[in-house]
Amino acid sequence: MIELTNLTKTYPGKTAVQSLNLTIPDGKIFGFLGPNGAGKSTTIKMMTGILPMDGGSIQLNGKDISKESIAAKKSIGYVPDRSDIFLRLKGIEYLNFIADVYDVPKEVRETKIPELTKQFGIYDALDDHIQTYSHGMKQKIVVSGVLLHDPDIWILDEPLTGLDPKSSYTLKEMMREHAEKGKIVFFSTHVLEVVEQLCDEVAIINQGKIQFQGNMKEMKQQFKEDDNLERLFLELTQNG
Amino acid sequence: MAKTWILIKTMLKMQFSTAGKSDMEKVSFGCLFIMVIPFGFFILTMLNSLIGSLYASLSPTENENVILGLLFVSVTIIYIFVTLSTVLSSFYFAEDVESFISLPFQPYQIVMGKAAVPFLSLYGINTILLLPSLLFYGIHSQSTIVYYAFALILWALTPVIPFALTAILVIFIMRFANISKNKDRTKMFMGMLGFLFIIGINIFIRLDSNQNGTGMEEIITEQNGLLDLVTKFFPTAYFSSISLTSPSSLTGVMYLLLVIALTVGGIILFMTVGQQWYFKGVLGLSGGKRSTFKDNQLSKRTRKQPVLKSLFLKEMRTILRTPTFFTQILVQSLFFPVFLVVILLLESSGSLSSLAAGIEGWSAHTTLIVLIAFTILGLGVNPAASSSISRDGKTWFNHLYLPIAARDVINSKLLISFFLNLLSITVISVVILFVLQVSILVWAIWLLASLAISWITSMIGLILDLEQPKLNWTDEREVFKGRMIGLFALAIEALVFAAMLLLLWLVPVFQNLVFSSLFMAFYLGLTLSIGQWYLNKKVKEKYTTLQA
Ligand SMILES: Nc1ncnc2c1ncn2[C@@H]1O[C@H](COP(=O)(O)OP(=O)(O)O)[C@@H](O)[C@H]1O
Ligand SMILES: [Mg+2]
Repeated sequence: MIELTNLTKTYPGKTAVQSLNLTIPDGKIFGFLGPNGAGKSTTIKMMTGILPMDGGSIQLNGKDISKESIAAKKSIGYVPDRSDIFLRLKGIEYLNFIADVYDVPKEVRETKIPELTKQFGIYDALDDHIQTYSHGMKQKIVVSGVLLHDPDIWILDEPLTGLDPKSSYTLKEMMREHAEKGKIVFFSTHVLEVVEQLCDEVAIINQGKIQFQGNMKEMKQQFKEDDNLERLFLELTQNG
Repeated sequence: MAKTWILIKTMLKMQFSTAGKSDMEKVSFGCLFIMVIPFGFFILTMLNSLIGSLYASLSPTENENVILGLLFVSVTIIYIFVTLSTVLSSFYFAEDVESFISLPFQPYQIVMGKAAVPFLSLYGINTILLLPSLLFYGIHSQSTIVYYAFALILWALTPVIPFALTAILVIFIMRFANISKNKDRTKMFMGMLGFLFIIGINIFIRLDSNQNGTGMEEIITEQNGLLDLVTKFFPTAYFSSISLTSPSSLTGVMYLLLVIALTVGGIILFMTVGQQWYFKGVLGLSGGKRSTFKDNQLSKRTRKQPVLKSLFLKEMRTILRTPTFFTQILVQSLFFPVFLVVILLLESSGSLSSLAAGIEGWSAHTTLIVLIAFTILGLGVNPAASSSISRDGKTWFNHLYLPIAARDVINSKLLISFFLNLLSITVISVVILFVLQVSILVWAIWLLASLAISWITSMIGLILDLEQPKLNWTDEREVFKGRMIGLFALAIEALVFAAMLLLLWLVPVFQNLVFSSLFMAFYLGLTLSIGQWYLNKKVKEKYTTLQA
């Protein structure tokens, strides 16, 4: 379970996230939808402990990210929107580093590393430096790293941008499987279509505020009734 | 020619414009400039008196032109070095190389354009080094106005030949040595080459002078004999010196004309070589070798390790695999001690084993203090510590979402600088034990103190870097270039350790090794605890707030 309470973040001269409240139950694929600059990445960075928050609190599986940060971080896996990972490491070294950090047993490493990387078609490249990977390959090695330690909460920031259709399909399948195991998949996107295909539940964020939270049926209903949302709807469909 | 000129102007504008530099950088640059003035004044005074005394001792045997020879030889060596690295990065490793190649220019035009910035920087150095030296020589030798005219011309010509020849060498190597297939490896290779070159020259010059050691008196009494020796490997230095020694004579004029001709020849050769070979060397750059992961590797490569070890290995791999880090950190930190070993070994094999003999005459107490002071300097200049955080650049944020304690990350970085210092300490140890033949007891005390000093200097560098890390870089060189942090670190280390050394030196009871050891243990222990306490405090304050 994820609980965000009154979450607030201001950059000099700009409030990026304002009193945001969200509760996300286990076993769901949760879409975090909003146009560019809405505050999605800012929220996710606070959830993962990268950005200190200015107000409010974040509970991940009952652990507060700022008070019990290590314990809270143990329960999440994060796929950032930029692929600035440790470029000088080789693929296999990166995965083993992640496994060390999350205490993954050796047997699990030996079975899951080939399994995951073969699914993504990057197994052969494991002995190459990550620096030589394409954007998509970097994304895939990070996803492999996350699934290697099988976190209770999987957080992805705009994961489908820049992936080819096949990889995109594989990733979506993996997200579904993860949720089916009773875990949370939380991802952000600016594309409405992706949310419609994939999500059990959705929150729409615009200018740092939550405009809507509910399941897909409720969302379609609201789009028809609410003028503000309808305008946002147009923005999101045109963006995609 | 007009097009070449446009290219040159564009290159210069891009390099020297102040746009995009932060106020902080401008201010610190200004501060540095002001700080340099008294320092420069000091150096100039030293230079003046050095030239003066050399002149006084050499002119009775009419060997005063050795001063000029030495001057031209040393600036030539310095220019070769500077050019080696600036030309490599400007011609081959700069990000903009490929975008210029796609423009409709002749290779020689691009080469000229790319040479503009390094060449102009070389003139900066030339103005600081050669111009005042020639002026001082003129004053001491009470030269005529003709000397100054010649000196001005030679000053303007001197950088051209070392620059052109080094650039030709670089272009040649890049074209034919076939190392350009791998950009990273080339960078490392060139870094090592520079390092070996310095040591090589050193050995060469020393061996050479050792051989001729017996005939020294003969050489000195013979006119120009000493000059021949000094300038043996640098003909232009020889011609320049001769020309300046008797400027108003026919010989002087002839030699000056010779230097001018050689300079023009150098430029033409440089353009020709550039036209022929530059593109061929550049086009091979980029990309690396691909390999296929082998199944039987899996078990070995997935070993479980403690997080601290895992972090340490990650740091170490990054340093070893990033050419800039490799040369700036590893090679640089080893440079000082290795250079020392080479000099000492050569000295002791020749007639000049006076250093070891001299140390034998010292008390254990004096030896210890000198060794420790030297070690502080050697470890203090290691940039591993002061680049600890900055090295991570934009990847820093990865430490924040991973469940790793801040303590582990920080400790892994401290361990890296400590470990690299250990390499230097080992080298110095060898010198102390085998070359200087200091007693085991003094060595042991020195070793313990050095380990503590290594930890303390590592902490000082790390704290400074944590205070204001440079994370937003796109090229690794930005981590080292234009940052005052190395100087700050040295200044703080000087303050911290000067007190200890002074007390050791002045307080009579510390003549006794037992007391001085106890005192050092106390002093270093205290400094270490204070440092650790302050570091922990800084980590709490800054760790999570650092953003690229
Ligand atoms: N480091 C920063 N400094 C100042 N403003 C920022 C910074 N990062 C993001 N912002 C601003 O905060 C708002 C939200 O940004 P972000 O969370 O990245 O949006 P999203 O991920 O939804 O596209 C934007 O208006 C952006 O300009
Ligand atoms: Mg974003």
